[in-house]
Formats: sequence, structure tokens, C-alpha cells
Amino acid sequence: MLDPPAGGKTTHVQGRAMTDHEHESEATQSPRTTHVGRRAILGITALGAAGIAFGASVDNAIGGALTRISNDLGGLGALVPGADQFRIYTVTGSIPTISPESYRLTVDGMVERPLSLSIADLRGMKRTTLVHYFQCVTGWRVPSVHWQGVQLSEVLDRAGVKPGGTALRFFSGDGVYTESLTIGQAHLSDVLVADRMIGDDVTPEHGGPVRLYVAPMYGYKSIKWLDRIQVLNEVIPGYWENYGYAVNAWIGGNP
Amino acid sequence: MSLRTGAGATPSGQGRGSAAVRGGQAAATTPPRGNGKTIERFDAVERIVHWTTAVLMLELIATGAILYIPSISLVVGHRGIIENIHVYSGLALLLPLIIGVAGPWRERLLRDLRRFDRWSAADWDWFHRKAHRSGAPLGKFNGGQKAEAALVGGGMVVMLATGVLMRFAPPSWINWQQGATLVHDVGFIAIGLGVAGHIYFALNSPERLKSMMTGRIPRAWAAKHTPVWVKEADEGKP
Repeated sequence: MLDPPAGGKTTHVQGRAMTDHEHESEATQSPRTTHVGRRAILGITALGAAGIAFGASVDNAIGGALTRISNDLGGLGALVPGADQFRIYTVTGSIPTISPESYRLTVDGMVERPLSLSIADLRGMKRTTLVHYFQCVTGWRVPSVHWQGVQLSEVLDRAGVKPGGTALRFFSGDGVYTESLTIGQAHLSDVLVADRMIGDDVTPEHGGPVRLYVAPMYGYKSIKWLDRIQVLNEVIPGYWENYGYAVNAWIGGNP
Repeated sequence: MSLRTGAGATPSGQGRGSAAVRGGQAAATTPPRGNGKTIERFDAVERIVHWTTAVLMLELIATGAILYIPSISLVVGHRGIIENIHVYSGLALLLPLIIGVAGPWRERLLRDLRRFDRWSAADWDWFHRKAHRSGAPLGKFNGGQKAEAALVGGGMVVMLATGVLMRFAPPSWINWQQGATLVHDVGFIAIGLGVAGHIYFALNSPERLKSMMTGRIPRAWAAKHTPVWVKEADEGKP
């Protein structure tokens, strides 16, 4: 980018000036110079390109150590209690604090039996445990995260989805965030209504007391502070999807 | 010679004068603007490019810190808005420089970009002996300033490319996105240190800082710290 535009008039003039300058340099002791600056910029650009091309492979080969270092260094993850290796995202000004005792998960819309589930209700249902990474759409990944809760399909079966109920809309307790899934996606075995995570109850930072975990999709589908599931007859795009993110957010682009 | 020798302290007409000098053969015999106590170090184009880029850069660092550092993310929140501000000001970051070199006003800016590119032996020496070598044959910029320019210049290109990948790449490019995120993280730290160093040195060099505000620098100061450049300026290539 520091190269003069080739063939331009200014280049020609400047080139003459430089030649004159160098010609007279012996008399006036002007220093000889080398093109270090443009080489440095090309080198930095090449390093960046190599990082884009091979960073993921190298990081995956060494168990995500680069991501961990990067999250801890720039992310200063250690300063946030309970953040672990996650970057904590919120779309509102604060983290909702929801009492686990008074918490209720509402399931309504096109269902036979609208539900209002407490934490104890969820703990009394068939439990599922997963160990699976959390993948953010912007590229960071937390490997081998422990998730525990109830399969979303179990919750839907208890409520009884009416014919024509083809989509779900999820609401967050932050009052702003929403997400969506099709009924087919919701019945995948690795989609959880999670109340435990990383060996403990889900913390407020991670969306506790109850959040969704959609393993095959990017993190923004795994809505935090989940407080309502509405069964609808069409998909209504969620919060980030209104910013242009994919509605069907399969990691890597394929189910 | 159209050079305004009698009006060394007024910046007007210098660009025109230097063009006339370059066109002619008599650069070495041009009378220096010896009456002037100051020399124009940066013209208005360079200062506008510098300060618009600086404002964008500081804003990007601030919004980037909000997006990247969880303890700040938690306090500020509003991720959707912050992300959009960060992404679109990032896309705009190189615009001042591109506009600066795209028009007929680019002469001085281009000349300084070439100076950043070209390193002399004195530039390398600067890293070892800078404190003891007033009178070293340094040009307008020393080795430290040239290293800073290369770091931030290359860094801006890399941050732009990786940022675009993070925000706009299709889902199937997940491996590249992951790599881009790692590079963007490292770049944040590198550019953050680079900008912090830049501000530190600026605050410790009031003459240089003032010259980026007013455009002008005392001739005596320049003769001591950047002797080769004073000669170039007197030859019509400030």
C-alpha cells in the first residue's frame, strides 16, 4: 500500500526526484535506504493470512489451547467469576437475575397442555447429559463443555404439540432476546433445556437458571435466561437473525 | 523560482513552490527559507487523515474492548448496537487514508508514506543509540516511527480482513472464521500496544505533537532531530 501507483504522473515525477536525490547523495551524504516498510506490511499481512488459513487447524490439533490463551489474555476471562472460557454476551444493559426458586418455564401457543415448569419439575423429568463444544458464530469455541438438562423434545411431548405447530419461538428473561427453531430441529437429541452446565447450576452469566443448548448450531441459537417457549405455525426470526445472521444456524453450514 | 523565500513562516504556496522546484534542475541551489523559524511538517490533508483515523481507531479500540473483554461486556451490554458500531467504523477505518491518497491533494501524504517505507542505516541505529545521537542523519521519521507505521499499517489491513470474515463470511467458512478470530484477538493486543506507544511518544515529544495539530515545527528543533529532512524541506520536499 505504500507503493506509488504504477504509471501515474505523480509516480514519474516522484521517481525523477528520488533519482536526483540519490544521485546527489554522495555529495550531501543523504542516506541510502531500503524498502523495509512495505516488506514489513506484506509480512504482517502474510502472517494474518496464515493465521486465518491454519489457525483453526493448529488450535484444534492442540486441544483449543490457542483459543484458551486468547480468551484469557485479551478476554481477561479470569476476572469474570464463572465465565470459564466463555465470552459473556448480553444484548441488554445488564445480566438478568432470576431466582431459581420462583423460576417458571412457560410453554404455550399451539399445545394441548400449556405448561409452567419449575426447576424441580425439570429435575424430575428424564435427564440428559452431553459433553460438547460451544461454538460462537464469530469463531471462538469452548471445547468439551458439560451440559445437563431435559431434551427439548421431552418438554414438547409433555405439552403436546397440536397439528400445525411447526415452529418454536423462544423468549429470554432479558425481555429483548428471542430465538427460533423448527419443530424438526427441536426434536434433535442434542437440543437441551439445560439447567446444569460445567458441573454446576447454570450461572446468571451463562443464562441461568435455565437456558437452551442447541449443540449442532451456533451459540446464538442457545438462548440464555430462557423463560418462555411458544409453539407457532411459522418461524419468526430471532434477535441476531434480524441483524442478518442465518436462521438455520448449522455449524459449518450443514445439518 | 516561484518559491516564496521571503514568507517562510506562512504555509500558503509551499506546495506550489515545491512542485516548481521538482520540475526544475536547481533544487540544490534553491535559497532555503532561512528566515522562517518554523517549517511545515504536515499539511492539512495529512492532519485531517491522521485525526479522523485516530478518532476511528480509538473508537474501535473502545468498542472492541467492550465486545472482547468479558468484564467490560458485562458492564456495558447492548451487544447488538456495539457490534454494529464496531463493524461499520471498522469498514470505514481506511477511508481517510484512501481518500487522502486518491486526489490531487495527495502529494505530501504520498511522500511521507514513501518515507515510512524507506529505512536508512540511521533508522536502524535509532533503536540502539537514539538518546545519544542528536545529529544522527535522520530523516523526517526515525526508525521507531517507521516501525510504528508498519505495525499499525499492516495491522489495519489484517484487522479489516479478519473482521470482515468474522461478520460477513458464510457459515461454511467456519474454519477460516475461527482462524480469523484468533488473528483478530492477537491484532487487538498488538495494535493496542502500538497505539499506546504512539500516544506515549507523542506526549513525550511536544514539538512533534504540536506539529500534528498546527502543521508546523520549529526549524531549530528539526535541524537537531531530523537534519536530513530539513535539507529536503529546503529543497522543496517538506
